[in-house]
Amino acid sequence: MWQTVLKDWRRQRRNPAEFLIWLGIPLLIGGLIILASGGKSGPSPQAHLLVVDEDNSFVSGFLVGAMSQEELGGLIRAEVVDQETGRRTMADGKASALLIIPDGFGDAVLKEESTTLQLLTNPSQIILPGIVEETISVMVDGSFYLQRLLGDELRILANGPPQQMSTFADAFIANMGVKINHIIGRLVDYFDPLVIQLEKVVPEAEQQQEEEGDIPWSVAFVPGILLMSLLFMSQGLGNDLWQERDQHTLRRIVVSPQSVVAFLSGKVVAGTCLMCCVSIVGLTLGYAYFALNPITLPLAIAWTTCSGAMLMALMMLIQLLTTSQRAGNIMTLILIFPLIMLGGSFFPFEAMPNWMAAVGRFTPNGWALLQLSQIIRQDFELSRVAVGFLGLGLVSMVLFVISAWRLRRGFAQG
Amino acid sequence: MCSLSINHASVAELSIIHTYYRGISLIKVEGLRKQYGDIMAVDDVSFTAEPGAIFGLLGPNGAGKTTTISCISGLLKPGAGRVSVLGHDVVTDGPASRAKLGVVPQELALYEDLSARENLDYWGAAYGMGGAALKRRVGEVLEIVGLSDRAKEPVKKYSGGMKRRLNFACGIVHEPQALLLDEPTVGVDPQSRVKLLDLVREQAQRGICVLYTTHYMEEAESLCDQLAIIDHGQIIAMGTLAELRAMLQERDLLRLAGAFDPAAVPTALAPLADIELVQVDAESLTLATTQASQKLSRIFTVLSAVGADIRETVLSQPNLESLFIKLTGRELRE
Repeated sequence: MWQTVLKDWRRQRRNPAEFLIWLGIPLLIGGLIILASGGKSGPSPQAHLLVVDEDNSFVSGFLVGAMSQEELGGLIRAEVVDQETGRRTMADGKASALLIIPDGFGDAVLKEESTTLQLLTNPSQIILPGIVEETISVMVDGSFYLQRLLGDELRILANGPPQQMSTFADAFIANMGVKINHIIGRLVDYFDPLVIQLEKVVPEAEQQQEEEGDIPWSVAFVPGILLMSLLFMSQGLGNDLWQERDQHTLRRIVVSPQSVVAFLSGKVVAGTCLMCCVSIVGLTLGYAYFALNPITLPLAIAWTTCSGAMLMALMMLIQLLTTSQRAGNIMTLILIFPLIMLGGSFFPFEAMPNWMAAVGRFTPNGWALLQLSQIIRQDFELSRVAVGFLGLGLVSMVLFVISAWRLRRGFAQG
Repeated sequence: MCSLSINHASVAELSIIHTYYRGISLIKVEGLRKQYGDIMAVDDVSFTAEPGAIFGLLGPNGAGKTTTISCISGLLKPGAGRVSVLGHDVVTDGPASRAKLGVVPQELALYEDLSARENLDYWGAAYGMGGAALKRRVGEVLEIVGLSDRAKEPVKKYSGGMKRRLNFACGIVHEPQALLLDEPTVGVDPQSRVKLLDLVREQAQRGICVLYTTHYMEEAESLCDQLAIIDHGQIIAMGTLAELRAMLQERDLLRLAGAFDPAAVPTALAPLADIELVQVDAESLTLATTQASQKLSRIFTVLSAVGADIRETVLSQPNLESLFIKLTGRELRE
């Protein structure tokens, strides 16, 4: 068996192009996806809102300021510009939306008169302009309720101080403050009712996202890229059985005292070692790039290697069941691409429709990917991982036994 | 005899092989049958091969030679009959029967990315060799096949003839006591063929039992001590070259091409003494006779009398080809 391991390593070393393709394609695809999603900093998508404030009032200033406050600031980056600059930037497609606040907007709001905010959106963007539009709609609704509660006070404020005074009197301001305080005091029970306790039930997937903490969301692509590589490697290593047959070396093995089981074991061990090397390199780079806690790295490597061995056993069996190398290639490729798509290598499960994610989690690579993601995020129980390893071992063993049977009964004689 | 061209084994070693296996049939095939669906590839084939001798299996393509070899080597399971190598049944005692059996397949069975030495290392290890013994043997075999100076190059850089020699080397690296060669010279240039045939003779001289299949009559005649002629899965003649020639009774073979009346020809030839009609159809006629050249005019006369139109005449001396034609009515290469 070890001679077969050594021989396959040597052959692999002499044929680096194939190995580079197995690694290169997934790395290229994954790298592009990670870069497109902001790399390791992983900034959330942010709408760039241009604001033309023709009113320059307290109210319009409040509106623009509110756009950049707290959590909203993470979603929208508001920038005040003049109208010409705003329209030019929009024409260049460099902003998500342009909000034009007309002259007299503040007075209109305070006096509860009709006014119009103009919002121009970038048609080349879909989600971000929608966020801006929704946010402004909420603010407009909020102003309506504010009018209902503090309409009189706001109108007095809008009309300004009495003619003979340059500012409001202190007594008036104090009186106004007390009134507002009373109103808020009356409403606070409605804002924060104690009778009804709201329990927030978060779906498991979303909870997982919330618990990620400061781990960038693009980390989700690391297991996907790695499993994509392992799938390509499995396909290539499985195909090697056809090469052995077509170059007649498999026949020579059959007529030697060495058993085909030892031969197949050697190929599996050689392939598993290659996959282990790829896992070590891939995961170490991934952990370093995203500055992840390396405590789970050995476990992640072990999991990836065993998953790769299972995928290789699957691909070998498929190759052994086909009638020609061409048919074997076609069959495995037909299988690989849906597995990559559904199994979370191209798109994370969270970005898939629910039904597709549900199917994907049951694919061999999808299942392996989920466990690997949990290991990387340190969100796993050792007992569950142990059961996972046991499952991988059992499935691989069954696939191996069927492959060995097929190799002995027909394939080698071909 | 053995010591004349021995390069790499001591005389004492060879004496042991000869003494141990003298009188023992290293390869024994009894009533072998193998069927693929409705096609009987091998039908009741029996023969034995002795140590230090080359046993040839001669027949056209598709005659059943490779199937026979495959059954002996353990690649195929015999449908019926018994095959043993060094006394070990190939079905019930497969690994033991294969341990001292070398196989040189018709196709190149090599790892082209690896060097000759790496190939030999691998195949030697597949037969249980290792360490210094394997290293020594690999060196010896590289010398034998003349590839020592290019042993480290990848096989894909080798010429066709070099690959053939390496293919042969892989079959003998584990020092087998019986060697199966399945048409090893197919597609080989004349120079490499001569070299390969020398290597085969050398193995036999070392006391190894060689079973050699071919459809080249000249190869069989020059190489084999014992021969079996196989056609349609059955052995139709077997013996030494001399014995097989005797079956022809020193008769020449006369092959005529043209237009013949198959019904009239036998009657027309009947009055002629010592002429055997081997085969006749509308376009060809084959006769076996002694001193055929002296009888040509009489043969032409009687055939013309029954309307034959002779356009081509081929006269051949008795050889395996003519024996095959005599036995089957067909040429060996058909």
